[in-house]
Amino acid sequence: MSDNVLEIKNLTKVFPGVRAIDDVSFDIRRNTVHCLVGENGAGKSTLIKILTGAYARTSGTILLNGEEYAAHNPKEAKNKGISTLFQELNVVDQLTVEENLTLGIEDTKFGFLQKSVKIKKMLEVLKSIEPSINPKQKVGRLSVAKKQIIEIAKAVASEADIIIMDEPTAAISEGEIRRLFKIIKNLREKNVTVIYISHRLDEIFELGDNVTVMRDGKHIETKPVAEVKDRSELIRMMIGKTVIESYIPKDTKSQEILFEVKGISNSKLHDISFDVKKGEIVGFYGLVGAGKTELARAVYGADKYDGEIIFKGSKLGDTPSKAIKAGIVLVPEERRTEGVFTILTIRENIPIMNMGKISKAGFLNNAKERKIAGEYIKKLNIVTSSMEKETAKLSGGNQQKVVFSKCLFADADLLILDEPTRGIDVGAKGEIYSIIRQLSNEGKSIMMFSSELPEIINNCDRIFLLYDGRVKAEIENGTDINGEMIIHIVTGGE
Amino acid sequence: MQSLEKRNTAGSKISNLTFVNLAMLCVLAVIFIIASLVVPRFFNINNISNLIAQQAEIIILSIGVTFLLISGYFDMSVGGIISMAAVLSAFFCQAQGAAASDLGSGLGLSYGMAIVLTLICCMVIGALNAFLVVKLKVNSVIATLGTMALARGIAMIVAKGAQRITGLPPEFKAIGQFTIIGTINLAVVIMLVLLVAALVIENMTVFGRRIYLIGANRVAAHLSGIKVGKQISLLYVVSAFLAGVAGIVMASRFNAGNCALGTGYEFDALVVTVLGGTSIFGGFGSVTCAVVGAFILGILSTSVNMLGFQPSMQMLVKGFVIITAILALRFALDKRNV
Repeated sequence: MSDNVLEIKNLTKVFPGVRAIDDVSFDIRRNTVHCLVGENGAGKSTLIKILTGAYARTSGTILLNGEEYAAHNPKEAKNKGISTLFQELNVVDQLTVEENLTLGIEDTKFGFLQKSVKIKKMLEVLKSIEPSINPKQKVGRLSVAKKQIIEIAKAVASEADIIIMDEPTAAISEGEIRRLFKIIKNLREKNVTVIYISHRLDEIFELGDNVTVMRDGKHIETKPVAEVKDRSELIRMMIGKTVIESYIPKDTKSQEILFEVKGISNSKLHDISFDVKKGEIVGFYGLVGAGKTELARAVYGADKYDGEIIFKGSKLGDTPSKAIKAGIVLVPEERRTEGVFTILTIRENIPIMNMGKISKAGFLNNAKERKIAGEYIKKLNIVTSSMEKETAKLSGGNQQKVVFSKCLFADADLLILDEPTRGIDVGAKGEIYSIIRQLSNEGKSIMMFSSELPEIINNCDRIFLLYDGRVKAEIENGTDINGEMIIHIVTGGE
Repeated sequence: MQSLEKRNTAGSKISNLTFVNLAMLCVLAVIFIIASLVVPRFFNINNISNLIAQQAEIIILSIGVTFLLISGYFDMSVGGIISMAAVLSAFFCQAQGAAASDLGSGLGLSYGMAIVLTLICCMVIGALNAFLVVKLKVNSVIATLGTMALARGIAMIVAKGAQRITGLPPEFKAIGQFTIIGTINLAVVIMLVLLVAALVIENMTVFGRRIYLIGANRVAAHLSGIKVGKQISLLYVVSAFLAGVAGIVMASRFNAGNCALGTGYEFDALVVTVLGGTSIFGGFGSVTCAVVGAFILGILSTSVNMLGFQPSMQMLVKGFVIITAILALRFALDKRNV
């Protein structure tokens, strides 16, 4: 048998307008821990989704144990030998550990469950990995880390060749991480190869045998971890050269503080303080799990928090409706489920945050509503055949412009933008950036949360770096901004 | 193929809601014509005015149920509230200690006072629905099935499992039995007034728009500053109030506070609402849907009855036609939205 358990050759995946994976080739050696790193949008997730059968590739070959491999769904992938530990764990809380292990592969006789060799084997594997888990225990009572171990045991017992782990340490404690690492290191003795994805670069050095770096859908480098000098070499490979394309420092900066957050905390955020000045674009950058969306939601009043927020000199209320009344609006992260009302028309979507402006004594003024819808369609260049079109039928970029229209119509002084350009094409991105800049020039303040570094660097006057629910650094944007240093901090470096 | 495309583009000039309303109106017309041709004595002024009068209560009831359904919430308590309202409206105005039996004597209030008190009691049930669904986040089907049993339980205790029929003031039967033309009675007038009010709210007010917004996307509605909990609470109280009105009207029509009134009405209200085209997933529908649905069901019931089917067969025919109508609607909408 060849030394390589998996060989990827010229793999390409094209989405409309994007080459998510562009001619990627590399090999994964048998019984190793192979790390996969790259910025958000580098193509890691797409690659994993092709391996697990969630996406079909556009072209290219994948060889598993030297044989052509393709899967149409996660179950098929599993049967062929590739198991995945997703961030959303695939265990049933109401069942016992034992029942979870045999879920879907139960032996039955006349429809009754049978105790069989399979169960015995499963339990032995679990015991060899983690003896402290009682098989009769309900899974709901176990920690996330122990649930992961159950899934790993299940994969090992079903003789998986490869276990893919997607950010397994994102939701577990330091002690549990140690234990998980020990288990992962022992897996090679059980004839299992691990593909390990993490944003925490220190973990790569501790755990990995080999590392593959991806950037913008392309394969940059695959080499043994031992040959990587240090974090900064890895970071350089991840981000390449970050160029500031279009950031223009403002000539006149207002010193008037509009918005001040004083030490807010909740289960995901730890003692966060910052302020936003009038007309300023403030960026918040961090990787998955850093607390960006949580912070955006908390300051808007969509999630609970302890601490105090001062807006225009008085204490801000703690619900979205109070925030909107005070003059704050949110463009949420999930456009389709939180931003637009997909089954309603563009006309009906636009005035939602400020119904008072199109009504009198509670009665709608339809003529005014139509006029306003027309104005915003023109102003934001929403491409549609009619204002009566359902927003579900618009492209992502145009849907996002509808969300922006909603927010602009509310006449807010502070706009909170959570991933404002996620999943939209390059042209629409540019249009959204120019809207943001125009708003700032009009004296509106912007808080922009993004996991795309170029987007942050090109647009924001001041940047806060988030890691693990904390503000790690505050940077004034300018020509001397250092992309490597930023990546170093948001991946957990000091 | 080409003609189909043409139809699609022509059709897209009207909204899906108008399309559904028109489609179901056509179904209603077809069923009406078939019934007139096939069922002897169907097409006759008395029968038709009867038909209209019989739908008054279910339509009053379905206004609240429709509003909640458009918002994405169920109200199954309305059947129980009807029987509670029927029994309480009798109990409150029965003469005090007039008869020997407990069932014959009530609180001796005026009929007007009795109506007001009854409606307040109904709204308390509505408030309880709101508390369970909005504050305690209980699934709306389960919560309102619970309060339905609660309301019916109250009715059964007050009516001792039977009905309150003696010692009622003469005004008690006025609403149900005062007729204008044929069998068009005061209940029909109340229905019409409430219907017009509902249509105005639905189409012309911010309150009505919010009903659709919450049903279309509750999370986005909350993030857009709509006070979802407050709106839903209000709708539950309104729905209970309307069920109370229906119960009072029904008791008046039978001239009795019978605790068996309104049995199964929660399902009928839901069926006519959905039959007319309102989506159980929320965000889509109209009170007009419920009106059309009520008449489709009404004509069907009357027809199978007049054709002399056994009650068991009547149930079967009803079930069959309802399923067919809903499938046809789904099919038409899917075709249109390809």
